[in-house]
Amino acid sequence: MEKKAGKRRLALLAALLSVTMVAGCGGSNNAGNAGNTGGATNSGSGSEEAGASGSNAGTGEAAQPGIDTSKKVELQFYMLGDGPKDLPDIEAEINKMAAEELNATVKFNYTSWTDWDQKYKLLLSSGQAIDLIFTADWTQYQSYAKRGAFLPLDDLLPKAAPELQKFVPEPMWEDVKVDGKIYTVPATYKEYVTNGFVWREDLRKKYNLPKPTDLVSYEAYMEGIRQNEPDLMPASFNSDVKNNLHYIYTELNKMVGALPYGMGVKYESPTEVYTYWGSEEHKEELKIMKRWQDNGYIPKNVLNIKDTMQDPLTSGKAASMFGDNPTRYNDMVISVSTTHPDWELGYYPFGLTTGYATPVHPVHNGFAIPKSSKNPERALAFYEKLVLDKRYNLLTQYGVEGKNYTVEDGYYKLVGTSQTNGFTREGMNGWAWRNPEYMLFDKSFDGVKAIFDELDKIQKPDLFLGFAEDYTSYQAEKAALEQVEKQYLYPLQAGLVEDVDKGLETFMQKAKQAGLDKIQAEWTKQWNAYTAEKGIK
Amino acid sequence: MHELVRNRVLFLMLLPALLFFLINSYFPMVGVYYAFTQFDFNYGLFDAPFVGLQNFEFLWKSGTLVRLTLNTIGYNLAFIVLGNVIAIACAILLSELRSKWFKKLTQSIMFLPYFVSFVILSVIVYNVFNYDSGFFNTLLAQFGAGPVDVYSKPVVWIFLIILFYLWKNLGYSMVIYLAAITGISEEYYEAAKIDGAHIFQRIWYITVPMLKSTFVVLLLFSLGSIMKGQFDLFYQLIGNNGLLYNTTDILDTYVFRSLKVTFDIGMATAAGLYQSLFGFVLIMTVNYIIRKINDDYALF
Repeated sequence: MEKKAGKRRLALLAALLSVTMVAGCGGSNNAGNAGNTGGATNSGSGSEEAGASGSNAGTGEAAQPGIDTSKKVELQFYMLGDGPKDLPDIEAEINKMAAEELNATVKFNYTSWTDWDQKYKLLLSSGQAIDLIFTADWTQYQSYAKRGAFLPLDDLLPKAAPELQKFVPEPMWEDVKVDGKIYTVPATYKEYVTNGFVWREDLRKKYNLPKPTDLVSYEAYMEGIRQNEPDLMPASFNSDVKNNLHYIYTELNKMVGALPYGMGVKYESPTEVYTYWGSEEHKEELKIMKRWQDNGYIPKNVLNIKDTMQDPLTSGKAASMFGDNPTRYNDMVISVSTTHPDWELGYYPFGLTTGYATPVHPVHNGFAIPKSSKNPERALAFYEKLVLDKRYNLLTQYGVEGKNYTVEDGYYKLVGTSQTNGFTREGMNGWAWRNPEYMLFDKSFDGVKAIFDELDKIQKPDLFLGFAEDYTSYQAEKAALEQVEKQYLYPLQAGLVEDVDKGLETFMQKAKQAGLDKIQAEWTKQWNAYTAEKGIK
Repeated sequence: MHELVRNRVLFLMLLPALLFFLINSYFPMVGVYYAFTQFDFNYGLFDAPFVGLQNFEFLWKSGTLVRLTLNTIGYNLAFIVLGNVIAIACAILLSELRSKWFKKLTQSIMFLPYFVSFVILSVIVYNVFNYDSGFFNTLLAQFGAGPVDVYSKPVVWIFLIILFYLWKNLGYSMVIYLAAITGISEEYYEAAKIDGAHIFQRIWYITVPMLKSTFVVLLLFSLGSIMKGQFDLFYQLIGNNGLLYNTTDILDTYVFRSLKVTFDIGMATAAGLYQSLFGFVLIMTVNYIIRKINDDYALF
């Protein structure tokens, strides 16, 4: 019933929106005219501000060159996750400045993490007026851009945000282009979200176990834990086995990224696409997982575990993680250091095993202007402020200095605890508008920086994330394949199927029935076009 | 016209309800057209390219549509039949109880699970049945028996799901029947008592027949949504566990999983349309049959 009601509401919304769209067109025309006629008085107030800031007094019109700020607007800003408690205060502060400088106010909206993906899709497809929205590879920026959900920014940038255009390096603009057009403003902060083994160093020392540096030593570590600490889970896994077993395994095996549809592309030979599913290589993976399952490293009911990956480790239920990124590892270290000071965690980045590490691709964090935006110019100008203006940036990243945080010896320090403080570090989830020049780090972040420095020495560019897949031609097959994967491949990936060869055969047969060949052929074609276009060899 | 003028107050009172259904149920039906178009950010609803039945393709592409439909109908039939029969039985038992506080207490306890959310239920179930440290296996170990991996036995889940559904909803449907029983006049029972009917005869010849109309109405209502599965129940209890899909996958969970990867309004609408159409045909048929048998019980 609930779902049905939801669908009804959606349809109703669509119907209403089409009405408001008609009304909206008329409305904005009128408003435009009003703006023009009222231009004289408005520009008066504009030059007053300009006068206050000094240099721009001569140019008159407005503080921002190139765009018309004569009409007051409210910008709708959308971010994923949950906003901080102190958001209203920050919003008021920001709006005070923005109203003066851009004649605009901003409403910061948050989707919360529950069902964020559904909400994100609805925000973009229902036609609701939104001016700025977060984009990432994991929100499928490339697909949405390809299907026309965002406004191209190429012409807007020089006009509304010339400084920002200069600030973001040219290669980054190139990297986020989809079909030759820029659809998002990438973050310039360089970080690594590549994985690495995480384990309990205190236990490793206690039982004299090998240090996990590759698959073999990791397995030996888990075996040692199983023998010495039978009540502890050797490793933490949950029902999303595709992400926490399969993709971590393929990362160790030097695949270019989280490839869909059982495609295989090795980092050393990115133009050679092969079918991973059903291959000997795949069979080997599944056999290893079967062994892990039989030896009790993977919990038997892993497909029904809903914990986060990190919780069991930090609460002492599990003794390792197959893979996690440096930043999250550091968070675990901090959390363990307060709750169990006698524990110790160890980390070994996969980059040291595979010989290369890829810094995040520019599409990993960004902000786009959806097609439904009513004020794209102002939105972009505001976003420029958010990134480049120190006052805006610090306020939205760290809150109010003195009240939410203090700076000691150049390090960020939270006032009080995360429970009592209404704005923790990056409390607005402002990953996309991080400005490396203004960024403040907690002292404990030095650990992450050390890992980053190490990875910097072996860095190579990410080849995969710039790829914009267009699945319109095999949408039905993609949806059908998803089912087959969940039903037949997940149990295999978790090592739950007795006969691996037979299980794999069944899966392949069902996958072919769902249209795997068509998907793979089309994907390969697109991938080849991408590597050719970007000159990847 | 004459009718409208004469009963204008009544019609006026009807107006809000009419408007409600018009806005919430009839206008949105325009959206059904989405099922036949290729969704595109560049176009509105009616200028989007028409693609015919292409959006329905994903439903049968993996060859599971028949199984899904059967699963959905099967579970719902079990829910409807068992749910109503047991609810009636419990309602009758409770109504015959004389002790007032005991009656109230039982009723409250049976009603309580209705307020337990499915998320919490899934945690409870997981803690009872998980292989390594679940209550069930620990209990078996106490009796010296080996552990059982419930989460890899598809057939068991048919019973478990029905059981948990009943556990959760029994209290609620029972209250409806209890209310219907309270509405039966005491005089019937007194007359029967004087005629020498014992308690079982009184139940069988008075209470049960009097509940028939309530039962038929509830049945028709629930049949209309027989294609709409209990999404929360299945999604929370089974989740990602593909091992159990053969017996536990229903249309709603299938559609949810498919469209999580490719969100497409067209395909979502197509799936909804398939469910609604099937439900519509079903309810019309059943209503027709009931009208043939006994006109009074039919819904319309």
